[in-house]
Amino acid sequence: ENPTKQLLFSIVKAPGCSSAVILGLFFPCSDESLFVYDCSSAEKQPLGEKGQDGKGTDKGSDDILAFAFSPSGDYFALTDDNKRLILFRTKPSWECVSVRFVNRRCTSLVITAAEDKIFVADKSGDVYSYSITEPQADGKLELGHVSLLLDVALSADDRYILTADRDEKIRVSLTKAPYSIVSYCMGHREFVSKILVIPNCPDLLLSASGDSTLRLWEYKSGEEVHCCQLSTICGPQATKPDQKFTVSRITYCCQGGYVAILCDSIPTVYIFQLDATARQLVYKEQISLKHKGWDIAFEEMGDLWILQEDKEAPLLLYRACDGQWKAVTDDKGLQKMSKYIQDNWTVFEGIFMQRMPGSVEHLHEAM
Amino acid sequence: MAAEEEEAAAPPQKRFYRQRAHSNPLADHTLSYPSRPQDMDWAALFPSFFPPDAAPGTAPARVEFVDVGCGYGGLLVALAERFPQTLAVGLELRGKVAAFTRARIRALRAARPGAYGNVACVRANAMKHLPHFFRRAQLSKLFLLFPDPHFKRTKHKWRIVSPAMLAEYGYVLRPGGLVYTVTDVPELHQWMLRHFGEHPLFEALPPAQLAAEPLLPLLPSVTEEGQRARRAGRAPNSAVFRRRPDPPAAAP
Repeated sequence: ENPTKQLLFSIVKAPGCSSAVILGLFFPCSDESLFVYDCSSAEKQPLGEKGQDGKGTDKGSDDILAFAFSPSGDYFALTDDNKRLILFRTKPSWECVSVRFVNRRCTSLVITAAEDKIFVADKSGDVYSYSITEPQADGKLELGHVSLLLDVALSADDRYILTADRDEKIRVSLTKAPYSIVSYCMGHREFVSKILVIPNCPDLLLSASGDSTLRLWEYKSGEEVHCCQLSTICGPQATKPDQKFTVSRITYCCQGGYVAILCDSIPTVYIFQLDATARQLVYKEQISLKHKGWDIAFEEMGDLWILQEDKEAPLLLYRACDGQWKAVTDDKGLQKMSKYIQDNWTVFEGIFMQRMPGSVEHLHEAM
Repeated sequence: MAAEEEEAAAPPQKRFYRQRAHSNPLADHTLSYPSRPQDMDWAALFPSFFPPDAAPGTAPARVEFVDVGCGYGGLLVALAERFPQTLAVGLELRGKVAAFTRARIRALRAARPGAYGNVACVRANAMKHLPHFFRRAQLSKLFLLFPDPHFKRTKHKWRIVSPAMLAEYGYVLRPGGLVYTVTDVPELHQWMLRHFGEHPLFEALPPAQLAAEPLLPLLPSVTEEGQRARRAGRAPNSAVFRRRPDPPAAAP
């Protein structure tokens, strides 16, 4: 596996001062530098260009809406509220490769394993591909849903492209022939917020939805193989009787098959383990947070990083010891990163007042 | 009790089912639809095709024809008569119109026991719900008769023919299955020809096969909209497209 795989937590933006800071932990190589990129310094689309319906381009903010690494970590792409798509190379060091413009604001993006294209899903339900080998080339329309797309994923071999929308559907199409739908994974009863192809069980797809379930699918046939009712498993901790468990973050670790999730408005990280043979998700334990959880990420070797809304301890590191997850405090990387956040706290304070990328709370249908 | 049944089985009168012609397919109507095709209770719609005493192991009957935007049911009635053994479903978004068509079929079934048991109308949003109702490659015929043209450019995404919808039609139709389109709006006809023509999963039926298509002559006049167009002197434009075989799922 790639020894210099990086972790990304989240993109933060401070109100009033438009800078975005990317936290990257370079691990385990000796270079411990941090890369900072100010998105507001990137070129903007020239004003005066009319949109399709004759209206002027609306002014967006520099909020970052979606981002992803390529599977090897060699490339990184992000898209923002100003409809920019920015591509970075991470080796031998981080540098910006290109800034392009997308037609509509995006909700999610994914980079192919072949590292030749970025697929971007937007708010009108369309997926566009953008070339990496030709980093200035225009986007190409690949497929469309009738409703808003919330997530896009690729199978490990790039053969299938999976798209999840606001109308409960997960569609599986051929990447080389995206007009050809291979299957639908039907079953969710509300918007599908997150989908993840399990890297070491490449026939399996994990999905999360506004219906408070996590589901496992054999996505080529569309068959649901496991449905996890979060209200049952995590229920006893619920503060309200009709508490919804809308997953806002999922992170997966091949080492051990661990799945960690964060739900909107719930200060707890829930940890599951994937039993690949039985094709089930087994609930393991939860990590209660004293503050709102902002993001979670697994490292390749199995350590779990948690970003939380607390100036004293913004970053937490957990490690599994004999199947139990315990906090680690003496890690140099943790201390260095925490100090950086504390030193730049005013930048991060902005998080708490704005909606994080990927938040879907507003999509619950009004009762 | 008998009087009530009689009332329920009487042919419905249009004046009680009037509704605005245009409907927004992107809005969240409160419609009920199954979570998945296997959850749909087709037996309730086609009781005569789901006998309780069916031999175990017999494959259940499946819908093969879908009329997208069936309106007041003119095509469904014609399909019932011509293909009495094939299940056909009409999808209609407008509540009152769907209610009318259901009442119409109920009345026809009551008037002629044993007939019209193979057609039904479901109030549904075809733009959002096709994969909820139908499995991959389930259908052999799909009808798009006089679809709403949604003239304004900003409303084009409400049109029932679009690249996104064509992928869905390609999914529910089996290879070799047919799509029939009819419209009295020349611009819409060109729009549909172009979209289906450009789509790799569809091909226009060659003229020889088109001439031999038994249903084609019937389609322009069998529906309310078609009759209205004819009375106004607007010529119908028809087309038939065939679902081509699947592309190979070759390795990248």
